[in-house]
Amino acid sequence: MGFNPLEHQGIPLDRQLRSWRELDVEPIDPDHADPRIITMNGIEVEAILFSHQFARRCPDPEVKRQLAEVRYIEHQQQKTVNWLLPGLASVLETTIAYEQVAVDLTGWIARHEPDPYLKQAYEFGVLEDFDHLYRYANLYEMIEHRKAESIVDNLTEVMPGRPTKFHHRHPHDNVREPYDRSTTNPLSKLHALTIMSAEQQTMNFYMNVGPQYMEPIARRLYQEIGLIEEEHVTHYESLVDPGETWWEQLVNHEYNECYLYHSFMEQEPDPKVRAIWELHLNMELEHLRIACDLMRRHDGREPREILAPELPNVLTFEQNKVFVRDLLDTQIDLTTLGTGYVQDAHERFQRMQEQIHGGEEPPSERVLAQHREMFGREYRVETEGGHPDLASRERD
Amino acid sequence: MAGITASDADVVALLMRRHGDIRNLFDEVERATGDERRAAFRRLVQLLAVHETAEEEVVRPFTRANVPGGEQVVADRLHEEREAKELLSRLDGMDTDDPKFLPELLALRLDVMAHARAEERYEFTHIRRHADQARLASMASALKAAEAMAPTHPHPGTESAVRNLTLGPLAAVVDRTRDAVRKALGKDG
Repeated sequence: MGFNPLEHQGIPLDRQLRSWRELDVEPIDPDHADPRIITMNGIEVEAILFSHQFARRCPDPEVKRQLAEVRYIEHQQQKTVNWLLPGLASVLETTIAYEQVAVDLTGWIARHEPDPYLKQAYEFGVLEDFDHLYRYANLYEMIEHRKAESIVDNLTEVMPGRPTKFHHRHPHDNVREPYDRSTTNPLSKLHALTIMSAEQQTMNFYMNVGPQYMEPIARRLYQEIGLIEEEHVTHYESLVDPGETWWEQLVNHEYNECYLYHSFMEQEPDPKVRAIWELHLNMELEHLRIACDLMRRHDGREPREILAPELPNVLTFEQNKVFVRDLLDTQIDLTTLGTGYVQDAHERFQRMQEQIHGGEEPPSERVLAQHREMFGREYRVETEGGHPDLASRERD
Repeated sequence: MAGITASDADVVALLMRRHGDIRNLFDEVERATGDERRAAFRRLVQLLAVHETAEEEVVRPFTRANVPGGEQVVADRLHEEREAKELLSRLDGMDTDDPKFLPELLALRLDVMAHARAEERYEFTHIRRHADQARLASMASALKAAEAMAPTHPHPGTESAVRNLTLGPLAAVVDRTRDAVRKALGKDG
């Protein structure tokens, strides 16, 4: 039967600290990306940032110390996971891997999300990350003469999604309605937390690596897409019920980490990496136990009331070409208005568009123009036929 | 205006794209079998030899003369190159259908990639900082000239242009390469 993390004992916290030797992991092959590494790094970064915010609002020194101790271990987990990435990869290769993770992860979650409003939020986001992947893949071929199919590993196609220039919406239109913490399916909470964490890490990554590029078009493209990541974090974080207490949120974070490490342990093909997922699952079980104790003590509630009785189905990275093509066929021209979605370019959207583009083509369009100038074509991977949206087909 | 990314008139942009071409060719060798693999591997050997020689003729002298600490930067690159070349000559004598070929090729791929990334991070950034546009362009033309002339086989222990010259059968080619480079750079000696 399913795995219930509340019924398993993890590694005691005082035995979780690792030495330098144990932190010194061997990086993976630079030519074979592993989407689980990028996902778990985002999850650990969120665990750390959440714990810091919690500590800053927490008057109880004993709880602060408890948070600090778990947070230090979480930082070691982040150092282990993210250091599996090879130094041989270029920033752009890691970027393309980030966008591919965003497409695959959001796609999987959209397909399994029980709540129709939340499902729509994920479907909406998929087509934007999908378009970012296409823009960065073209930049990659220009700078490094490599094709992104060696990174996306045939899981996804590379072609236009909702054009990046239309992602720039008025900030008010990026705020969604939250789920209701008392009635929502526990799986929905895990989904929202996972995607929010992944997008937040992407936002942080672009913030920091964008200016490392020398090529003007690369610098500008990271600025543009980096600002869309801000929109995505706003979009996904607003799905989470703000009425959850800090203790409840802490439990949700730890539970989600158990869920993801358990999923990835089940499907990881590389035995050295799998051993890390297994170790981290056993650490998270203890972090979850501690969080549950804190919730009982300070919230006076039983964590079982807010959690699922067992972990949901294993989250997998799998081919999603049919799913994405269906979205391209039906949702490419969507934008947001208030907390909902519309097909017309409404006034607030148009005003934002005029202001941010300033009458010029944005970097996301220029990168394609430059690519066409250089190669006489675009870079695309369309393995399943022509683009479902006629207007998005490549012009000869 | 396509900017430096798309420009053939920037030696760094050109070299970075060449690094991608080399990786693509590694993929081709790995995927092919039999005669196709043999042919793809010949092209890889040739591309690597031409690329490294062209870098030795055009890029290393600039780094040495213009980049602070350039001597050491060049020494590090030559060290990496030497290791890759040794591995390459070992592979060059091997039958591409030999079961040991692919594992050796993988080792070479990682060596070559590490060398390329080190160039991009520790040498090319300095070249862009210290060379003006005209210089980047003249080095780009020299590189293209060198690529058209350079030898097709590497010889470990001949990382420097001077010693390349002493090699019998290749001397003429290297000589012509050197002449082409100097002509393109618009100086003598």
